[in-house]
Amino acid sequence: MTERSPVLDVPLGRPAPQRTSPRVLAVHTITFQQARRLVPVALAVIAGTGLDGGRRTVVALAVGVTLVSLGSATLSWWRFGYAIGNGAVVVTRGLLSRSVRTVPLDRVRGVEVEAPVLHRVFGLVRVRIDAAAGAVGNKDEELVVDGLRREDGDRLRTALLTRRGHPASGVPAGDAATSAGPPAEEPEELISRFDNRWLRYAPLVGGYLAVPLAAVGALVRIADELPDRFVPDVGRPDALTGTVVAGALVAALLVLVVGSVVGAAVVNWRFRLVRRGGSLIAVRGLVTRRHTELEIDRIRGCTVTEGLGMRLAGAGRASALVTGLGDATRRGQLLPLGPRTEAWALSARLVEDPGPLRAHPPAARRRLVVRAVLPGLAVLAAGAVLTPTVGWWALLPAGAALAVLGVPLGLGRYAALGHAAGPHSLAVRAGWLVREHTVLQRRAVLGWQVRQSLFQRQAGLATVLACVGAGSGGYAAFDVAADEVAGFARAASGSWVVTLQPPP
Amino acid sequence: MHPPPPGPVREPAWSLSRSAIGLWLAQGVLGTAVWALAGTAFLVFVPADAGWAVRVLRWLGPALVVGYGVVAIGVRPRLRYRVHRWEVTDEAVYTLTGWLTRTWTLVPVSRIQTVDVTRGVVQQLFGLSTVVVLTASSQGTVRMPHLESDVARRVAEDLARRAELVRDEAT
Repeated sequence: MTERSPVLDVPLGRPAPQRTSPRVLAVHTITFQQARRLVPVALAVIAGTGLDGGRRTVVALAVGVTLVSLGSATLSWWRFGYAIGNGAVVVTRGLLSRSVRTVPLDRVRGVEVEAPVLHRVFGLVRVRIDAAAGAVGNKDEELVVDGLRREDGDRLRTALLTRRGHPASGVPAGDAATSAGPPAEEPEELISRFDNRWLRYAPLVGGYLAVPLAAVGALVRIADELPDRFVPDVGRPDALTGTVVAGALVAALLVLVVGSVVGAAVVNWRFRLVRRGGSLIAVRGLVTRRHTELEIDRIRGCTVTEGLGMRLAGAGRASALVTGLGDATRRGQLLPLGPRTEAWALSARLVEDPGPLRAHPPAARRRLVVRAVLPGLAVLAAGAVLTPTVGWWALLPAGAALAVLGVPLGLGRYAALGHAAGPHSLAVRAGWLVREHTVLQRRAVLGWQVRQSLFQRQAGLATVLACVGAGSGGYAAFDVAADEVAGFARAASGSWVVTLQPPP
Repeated sequence: MHPPPPGPVREPAWSLSRSAIGLWLAQGVLGTAVWALAGTAFLVFVPADAGWAVRVLRWLGPALVVGYGVVAIGVRPRLRYRVHRWEVTDEAVYTLTGWLTRTWTLVPVSRIQTVDVTRGVVQQLFGLSTVVVLTASSQGTVRMPHLESDVARRVAEDLARRAELVRDEAT
């Protein structure tokens, strides 16, 4: 096994296992990748022996921990091997008990190359190989080859995906192997590129708003644990005048807005979506650069998400529904943030638009308004009982307000409902706070589920769920008119749905 | 037999064997017994003068257990038996389950990935088995509960064989 032997040169036959780059030792030593498993044991030992906190002890501890980390990193590097050959990728590892995982190449659903910040310092990447067996993928169905040199990582990715696509044809070696950077095997077509102006939508997306909130939470925890002498004396609570409160609110709002924009910028930095051969490739990230490859053949549909705030600003997100893709919500993202026109254009590229959505019957509107008003009415009823007995009069206005607010909420939910069946695709839409419009290919549907509750039966409604082996597993059209169910299912999928047809 | 408003889709053709009623009765009795035990433990071990909430619960608890027993033993088994239906056609597996909320599930044979037969402890007493048909979708799972064991085995074998024959791309 020579240093430069790339995976492509491995002849068909018994593949020789390869090691990752030794430079990964540095990364793993610094991050305690392997040694962190020993931390609970070490803590127990330290607690048991009761070390005194002298300077010498601290130094010895630091050196010892580093040595243990280096040792365990070396061991696991030495015992780790990967190889491609015989139509499968084989990963061998384990210190004492050897584990050999063999995944047939036709089971490889996707390859992600990511470069966290420390990896980038050492010019390394981490390759995640998705090998879901069909149903919902979990972490166990993922092979991770950590610490390849960047060009080896690209080569591994190309080898995995090319061999899978054309099992018979050989892979051109040599020319691609010597070029640094991504091998230029097929022309790229740029589909979408992140425009920094789109960052202004970030404060409207719940996920990005959570970034500054989490940061503030962490800061508060740190401040709590600081010894008192480091905490500045801000003043007593009675100094909280109106201006201070207003100032604090404005500051908090600013932190939220700026934090979400920064968070969105870090995650989506220089996002690019390109098409290369039969794959879509999404690259993004400032600190950790991710490189996700989605096979177009495995794309079954597309979801365009528009939250409440995003609808006001005309923003949207688009994600592909890919079969057997682990961690699909993150990896399937095609447009993490952008104008809704862009999201819709992307969706239309992947899946044919089935035509305008059909509205759901008035009974659905009644049902949704009633459901939205009921909690308010319950509070109101509780207030009616508790005001004379305990004197909780505040429940009465609160319940009334909730009930009144329920009306627009129910109407909003109703307005979001819709379904459509076209010649090659179908679409369902639902949700008020987060509106999700999913367009599915006809072939994606591998089953139907019709649900009817007691109340839906009285109202002549039913919920139809298209079962799909991608995304969340099922996409529902809520509160469809009961007599439209069979027709919709029939129009949206194959002839086997005739079974559903009620007798005339 | 049919509920007054017709369902949104056709009913599967076959009903379960009557021993399913016995099974559901047994489950109802067991469930009620568990709740009754919990209620008795509450009455015995929690002091009666521990506040108004406990006083309310001392009356509400037994009433709820009795109500649950009536529904779980007197109503639910028969209602379930009237609702539950199943059918295996040339092209698809089709079931109707539930009692208050009804669920129809249809999966074509060509998309079946695995077929499982399971027998619970109580099921074995009644000679019943459950056939579970799995697809690539986490939500596209068809359960055919409480078939007679030999029927379940034959259905599972037949489905597995046919799925092997007609399997197109299963996702």
